[in-house]
Amino acid sequence: MRPIRLGVIGAGAAAEGIHLPALARTSGVETVAIVDPAAERVEHVKQKFGVPAGYRDYRDAIPHIDAAILGIPHQYHAPVTIDLLNAGIHVLVEKPMALSTAECDAMIQAAERSGARLAVGLLRRFAPTLRYTKELLESGMLGPIRSFDVREGMVFRWPVKSAAMFSPACGGVLADIGTHVLDLLLWWFGDIAAFEYRDDAAGGVEADAVLNLEMACGVTGRVELSRTRDLRNSCIIRGERGTLEVGTKTDSIVTLTPARGQASLSGRATTPGQQPPGNLADLFAWQMADFVRAIETGTAPAVPGSEARRSVAVLEACYRRRQPLVFPFESLLVDAASPLRATAKAS
Amino acid sequence: MMSPLANATILVTGATGFIGGRLAERLVVEHGAQVRALVRNFGRAARLARYPIELVQGDLCSPETIDRAVAGCDYVFHCAYGSDGQDDARRVVNAQGTRHVLDAALKHGVKRVVHTSTVTVYGNTPDGPLDETAPRVKTGFAYGDSKIEAEETALGYVSRGLSVAVVQPTVVYGPFGTTFTIKPLQLLKSGRVILVNGGDGLANLVYVDDVVSGMIAAATHQAAHGETFILSGPQPTTWRAFYAAHEAMLGRSATVSMTPEEALKHFHGADAGGGGLAGQMLKALRHPAVKKRLAATREGQLAIRAFHMLPAGLRARISGPGVALPGAAVPAPAQPPIHPLHPSKIAFMTSKTFVRSDKAQRILGFTPQFDFVRGMDLTAAWAEWANLL
Repeated sequence: MRPIRLGVIGAGAAAEGIHLPALARTSGVETVAIVDPAAERVEHVKQKFGVPAGYRDYRDAIPHIDAAILGIPHQYHAPVTIDLLNAGIHVLVEKPMALSTAECDAMIQAAERSGARLAVGLLRRFAPTLRYTKELLESGMLGPIRSFDVREGMVFRWPVKSAAMFSPACGGVLADIGTHVLDLLLWWFGDIAAFEYRDDAAGGVEADAVLNLEMACGVTGRVELSRTRDLRNSCIIRGERGTLEVGTKTDSIVTLTPARGQASLSGRATTPGQQPPGNLADLFAWQMADFVRAIETGTAPAVPGSEARRSVAVLEACYRRRQPLVFPFESLLVDAASPLRATAKAS
Repeated sequence: MMSPLANATILVTGATGFIGGRLAERLVVEHGAQVRALVRNFGRAARLARYPIELVQGDLCSPETIDRAVAGCDYVFHCAYGSDGQDDARRVVNAQGTRHVLDAALKHGVKRVVHTSTVTVYGNTPDGPLDETAPRVKTGFAYGDSKIEAEETALGYVSRGLSVAVVQPTVVYGPFGTTFTIKPLQLLKSGRVILVNGGDGLANLVYVDDVVSGMIAAATHQAAHGETFILSGPQPTTWRAFYAAHEAMLGRSATVSMTPEEALKHFHGADAGGGGLAGQMLKALRHPAVKKRLAATREGQLAIRAFHMLPAGLRARISGPGVALPGAAVPAPAQPPIHPLHPSKIAFMTSKTFVRSDKAQRILGFTPQFDFVRGMDLTAAWAEWANLL
């Protein structure tokens, strides 16, 4: 079979660090084009990965490609995806799928109309340990679930190539890491019944966010997300019969402690016959293989638009009902009268 | 009352750093200024991006980018300094980068440049009070020496018609502080810290918000033109008290007293290594903190697995308590390692200089709001939130 001709849209940190290295080892596809409005980024990536053609406008690439991967600022996900789908191009769009459910719906409709595949890059769904967590929860081994507590954060050092990622239209840590976390929670526990959301944006994009959730199944939980703090990057799930802690990143360890137990069992979940993922690029390669399979067989990808729309709905609701986050150290400033303290108090 | 900086366009260099970052925040939130931040690496801009701050890509070593960033600005706060690379590269950033900022400010008619220097320009200072009349002394270390050059460069522009004010903060600490907040916590967590002479030297600390207030006053006060201001906290404390406050945050004591001679000897001893490299490495590997860190890595996990495949006798010889390599003395029960103290820090930690900011108080109305107790309370609350304890 002729390999799928693929265009990489966006020559930023995601393309250079993850997409292109993973594509180099995916069979069935050939990367034929790189697209970015910044000419020097196009040139750099072309040289580094030996991509034959470069374009500054994705529309110019359309005649030359069968499928595309989108790693571009979030606010452009919907319009570019829809254009490509309308031209019959299969699309793997990075998460978040879009920033509103209206956009998601338009993307899903465009895919249905054209018959092209639409897949969303929620690659944590491919991680064996995170799938194992879902299966373990479904099996009832932990007994009725009481609560969960997610902390995920790193002092931000993602090698971004421009300020585009910090544009208010792009969303902050909630849209970025939060989408992954929300997707896991929706996948594991089902829909959300109620929430309270706070973040620290003050005219820009949030770097820290705190979300208290009540799931429709009755489980309650807390999520802390950060670009300014190194956190434990795990989810602790407390059930009547025991506690499970699972790393929320893609290459993670799960620890099980029985209720009132003195000892824990830690390890990595594996799928028979499959080497566990060593890094993000491994997982991305699996996701890519799934995208290729969906195109070749004309079947649904592992994470179709309808599934990815769920986390976008939560994201959208959080931003709409956002409350200011006051840091513990800021609240200590409240006792005196300077404008600085007044600001802390007002929020 | 409306701030004189309301709606003013202000460039902050070094805004992704500790002091510049807090300054940029407060210029937006308290003063309603239009802030531009000179950013070399966008990856470090997450904190700034919370505000409507214009992120301008640029590098102190590239005069064209600086010129673009300064164009249209009413004020410039120059907080950036060379923080990575070799001494020569840092010196270039400090001296030449400062010149690029000042050239652009002169060309574009900036009302005031506030240049951030340091009290390090006074070198190893004698005991007793110290103010701006003290001589600048080069010590042979790139940071302080190039800061002297940068400060001289900055004040040299006054005669060319540019209004410049220089601030010299002392030891700046507080939320997001690296050298004097995050680093002490890391050192105390990973080993023991040397207190020279029991830490009875004076620590002239200043809380970050006080420095920022002083810098803003230096921008807005007419009389600050061509002047230099030391910015220090209300009262000095001792290094003993400084480290004790951090030990209290962590709930562990991890300091050890040494005379200056002992500290110097320890530095050179630690440098040369003792008991052979393999012995040193095994000793380090037995340390619980090191073990824990290693076990968290994939390589560490592999090493542990490999270790368990060894014959039992050999395993015991490597890991057993107090078991050493043949020929080596039996080590004492594991104590956290003592971090070597760089010789340049020994004089800094023993001197009993009382750095005075009377001039800033007189001319700028600078009144530090955060004494040691209050500043450390805030720092502790931040450190807990930041997951550093």
